[in-house]
Amino acid sequence: MTQASLKSVLPTAGIWAVLAVGTLCAAVAIPAFRDVENISNIARQSAVLGILAIGQTFVIVAGMVDLSVGMAAGLVVVLTCALGGGDPAAAAPLAGAMLAGGIALGLWNGYLIQRLRVHSVIFTFGMLSILQGVILTYSDISIGTPPPQLSDVANGSVLGIPAAALVLALAALAGHAVLVRTRFGHHLMAAGGSALSAERSGVNVRRVRTLAFALSGASAGVAGLLLAGRLGTGYPLAGATLELDAVVAVVLGGTSLAGGRGSIPNSVAGVLLLTLISNVLNLLGISSFVQIFIKGATVVLAMLANQIGQDR
Amino acid sequence: MPITRRQFTAGSGLALAGLSARSAFGADDPIEAEDLLASQIVDTSRFKRPGPYTVGVSAGYLATSWIVYERQYIQWAADQHKADVRQLIITDAGFNPQKQVSDIEDLMRQKIDLLIYWPVDEKTLTGTLTRVIERGVPTVNVFGGFSASPGTVANAYISQLRLSELVASELMKSIGGKGRIVAVLPIPGSQEAADQLTGLKRVLKDNPGVELLNISYGSYDRAKSKQIMENLLQRYPKIDGVFSPSGHMNLGIVEAIEDAGRLGQIKMSPGDELNGWLKWVARNKTAGAVTFTPSIGKVGLELGLRILKGEPVPRGERVPSEYITPEKAVAIADASAPDDAWAGPLPREFRPR
Amino acid sequence: MTSIDREGGRLLVTRLATPLVLAAMYGIAAAVSDAFLDPSYVLNLFRQVAPVGIAAIGVTYVMILGEVDLSVGAVISASVVVCASVMDGDATRIPLAIGATCLLGLSIGAVNGVLVAYGRVSSFILTLGIALAVTGLTQVYSGGTSHGIVAPGFREFLNARLWGVVPILGLCLVAFVAVGVTYQRTSAFGRRLYLIGSNRTAAQLSGLPVARTIIWAYMLSGLLGSFAGMAMIVRSGASGTLTGQGLEFQVLAAVVLGGTTFEGGRGGVGGTIAGCFILLIAFNLVILAGLSSYPQLIVMGAIIISASAIQSRFAGPPR
Repeated sequence: MTQASLKSVLPTAGIWAVLAVGTLCAAVAIPAFRDVENISNIARQSAVLGILAIGQTFVIVAGMVDLSVGMAAGLVVVLTCALGGGDPAAAAPLAGAMLAGGIALGLWNGYLIQRLRVHSVIFTFGMLSILQGVILTYSDISIGTPPPQLSDVANGSVLGIPAAALVLALAALAGHAVLVRTRFGHHLMAAGGSALSAERSGVNVRRVRTLAFALSGASAGVAGLLLAGRLGTGYPLAGATLELDAVVAVVLGGTSLAGGRGSIPNSVAGVLLLTLISNVLNLLGISSFVQIFIKGATVVLAMLANQIGQDR
Repeated sequence: MPITRRQFTAGSGLALAGLSARSAFGADDPIEAEDLLASQIVDTSRFKRPGPYTVGVSAGYLATSWIVYERQYIQWAADQHKADVRQLIITDAGFNPQKQVSDIEDLMRQKIDLLIYWPVDEKTLTGTLTRVIERGVPTVNVFGGFSASPGTVANAYISQLRLSELVASELMKSIGGKGRIVAVLPIPGSQEAADQLTGLKRVLKDNPGVELLNISYGSYDRAKSKQIMENLLQRYPKIDGVFSPSGHMNLGIVEAIEDAGRLGQIKMSPGDELNGWLKWVARNKTAGAVTFTPSIGKVGLELGLRILKGEPVPRGERVPSEYITPEKAVAIADASAPDDAWAGPLPREFRPR
Repeated sequence: MTSIDREGGRLLVTRLATPLVLAAMYGIAAAVSDAFLDPSYVLNLFRQVAPVGIAAIGVTYVMILGEVDLSVGAVISASVVVCASVMDGDATRIPLAIGATCLLGLSIGAVNGVLVAYGRVSSFILTLGIALAVTGLTQVYSGGTSHGIVAPGFREFLNARLWGVVPILGLCLVAFVAVGVTYQRTSAFGRRLYLIGSNRTAAQLSGLPVARTIIWAYMLSGLLGSFAGMAMIVRSGASGTLTGQGLEFQVLAAVVLGGTTFEGGRGGVGGTIAGCFILLIAFNLVILAGLSSYPQLIVMGAIIISASAIQSRFAGPPR
C-alpha cells in the first residue's frame, strides 16, 4: 500500500476500531458469544447485506443512492425458487440469468436516471414500488425451492468457515480492486466528487455513473441468490428494507453520501457491526423494543464519531 | 437427546402422508384435512427431559396488539408454571425472516429446551426448525394457524378456515343471502389472508346470490383500510356487505361508511374481539365478533411443557373460535380500557406495560 | 431579454411545473372516474391528505435548506401514542395533550437540528437513526400496544363537515398550508432558508445564523410532525403504535415532486402540497380504476417517476 492510499484509508478506519472494540467487549462479557459457532453465524448472517453494501458503495461514491436493490434481490429470490424448483441442474443457468438480470436492471436505472434527469432517490424509490408490485403480482405467497447448491452455500461451511462468508470476502476483494485499482474506479470517484471537473478531465461521467448502477444491480443479483438459499423458499417480501440497511451500513463505514470517495472494506465492516450488535443484544436477552432504540442510537453515535475522526 | 435419523424420517413420512391426505381430500374439504392432521398423536418420548426448563420464544414480529397480548399470555403461563419454567427468552425478528433464522440460531446458542414461535413466513423457517428438532428441542407454533410442516412438532392453533367460514356465514345471514360484498383482507401474501379467502370462497359457493365485487388488502392498517373503503364506496354505488374478520381494520372501514352515510345499507361481517371493535359493536348493536384469542400463547406454552415431560400430545391443539353476538359485546366491551386491548381472561397484572 | 428576465422566466416555469402536473393528474383522474367530479369526494381528499400534508410542510423547510428529515414517520407514531395517552379519555385534558405532543415534536426536532447543525453529518442517515431511536422509545413507552384513549368529542368535532359538505379537518389542512406558505414567503427565516440552501458557504461567510436556522427548521418539522400525528388520530383513532411507519417516504416523494430538490435552495410549501395531492390522487385513482392491489404498486411507482421526470423537464434538472 502506497503512502497516499494509506492516508486515504486511515481517517475512515474508525469503523474497524469500533468493530474491534465491540467484538472484544462482547467476547469478554458474554460467554455464549465466544462460541465458534456463534462467530460463524455472525459471518454467515452478514453475507447478504454485505454484498448489497458492496454494490451500494459504488453508487454512493458516484454521489447517488440506489433504493431499488432490496426489491431487486427479492425478485431474484422469488424467481430463483419458483423457476429452480429444487433442481440442482438449474443452479448454474439460474445464477447466470439472475446476475445478467441484475446488471440489466442496473443499466436501466443508471441510464434512465440520467436521461430523465430525475433524482436517484426518487427514481430508485419508484423502481422499488414497481418491483414490489411485480413480485406480488407474480406470487403473493412463498413459492418454490432454490436449487440445493444455493442452500449449501448459504448455510454450509468449507473447512469450518461459512461458505457465505467466503463469498462475501471474494466479493469484497473484487469490489475493492475495482474501486481502488482500476481506471473506472478512479473515474468514478472523480465523477462523484465533482462531475464538472471530471467531465473536463475527460471522464465520461454518464457512462461511469451507469456502470456504478450496473454493479449495484449485479450485487442485488448475487445477494438474491444467496438469500434464496438462506430462506429456502421464494418469500415475496424477502427484500423489504434491505436497501436502507445497505445504505446505513455504507455510511456507518465512513463513506459520505456526498460522493467522491469510499471504501468497500469499510462498508463490509459497517455490515458486520450491525450484525454484531443484533447478535449481542439477542444474547443479552434485551427486549426487542429496546433493541430498536439501541440500533438507532448506534447509528447516530457512529455517525458523529466518524465525523470527529474525519475532522481530525 | 437428539432423535435418531430413523425417527426423524418416520416423522417426516407421517407429515408427508398427512400432506397428501390433505390433497386427497382436496380443496373440497380443507377443514377435514386440517382436523385429520391435527389429531395425529405425536410421540414425544424423544424430547423428554428433566426440568426446570429454559423456554425460547421466537417472535416473527411484535408490532401488533394481538401479538403483544399473546406474548403476555405466554408470560402469564410461565408465571403459573414457575416451577417448570426457569427462564423465558424472547426474540423479535421485526418482520425480517432472515433475522428470525438468526434469532433462532442465537436462542439455540443459549441452550433452550423448548422453542415457541410464530413465523414471519412459515416456509422460510422449515429448514431452521427442522435442524432445531434434530438437536432434540421441540417446536410449538402459536401463530394462530395450523402448520403441518416437518419443522413443527405441535401447534396451539385456531382454525383460520373455520373462523373465516363462520365470519362469512354470519355475513351471509345478515345480508339475507344475496347482494354484493367486498372483502378486506390483512397482509397480502400471508397465510391468514389466503385462508380467509379460502373460507370466504367456500361459503360463497353455497350462496350463489352473493357477488364478490372486490378484494383489497388493508394490512391491518386502520388508516389504510379507511382510505380503501372510502374509495370502494365511491367506486361501487351499491355495496351490501363487507367481509373483514379484523376488528382493527373494521374500525377504519366503518368510519368511512358512517361518513358516507351508508351505514344503514352496508352490513359488516363480525370482526375479532379487539376492544375498540367490541365498543363499536356494543354501540351499534350489529355485526358482532368471532374470537381469535391471543390466549393460544398460554395453550402453546403448556403444550410445550407436556411435550418436555414426554406426554403424548396431538399435533394440533385447537382453541375454538366463538361467535360473540352484539348483545354479548355490550357485556364484555370495556369502555375504560383502550381500543388496543383484547377481551379475554388475561389477569390485570399481566396486561401489557 | 436580459439574463434577469430569463431567470425570472425560468422561475415562473419552475413555479408552474408542479401545479400543471397536478392539473393533468386531476384531468386524467376525472376522465377515469367521475368520483373526482363529486364535490363531497374531492373535499374528502383534503381530509385524507391531512396527516401527510401537514408533516410535509415542515419537511419542506428542512429540504429547502439542503438537508432531509426522515424521522417524521416516527414522530407521527410517537405523537399518536403520547397524545392519546395524555388525553386519557378526558375532554378537559385535550389542551394538555396537545401541548405535550407539541413539546414532543419540538424536542425531537431540536435534537435533529443540533446534531445536523453542529455535527455536520449526513442528515439522511442521522434522521434515519433518530427515527429508529424514537420508534424504539415509543415501543418501550407503550409496551407495544396503544394505551391511550381519545377524549370523546375530539375526533367527532374534527371529523365533522361544516354545512354537511366542508370537512373541518380539511379546513385545518388549508389553514396549516396558508400559514406555512406565508411564513416561508414573508419571514426572514424563510429568506434565510433559500439563501443557506443555495450556497451554504456564502451564507456562512455573510454572517447569517446558519446553525440557528437549521435548528429552527428541524424544530418546525418536528412540531408539524406532531400535528400530523394528531391529524392521524382524527383520521383513524389511537390504536396501534406504528401508525406513521413508512410515511416519511411518502412525504419525501411529495416534497421532491413539488419542486424542492435534495440540493436545496428551491421549491416551497405550495409545490409540496401539490405533490401530496398528486400522490394521493394516484393512490385513489388506481383503486377506483379497478386495479387489484398489486399492479397498483407498479402504477404508483411509474407515476412517481413520470411526474418527477415531467417536472424536471419543465423546471430544469436537479443539477
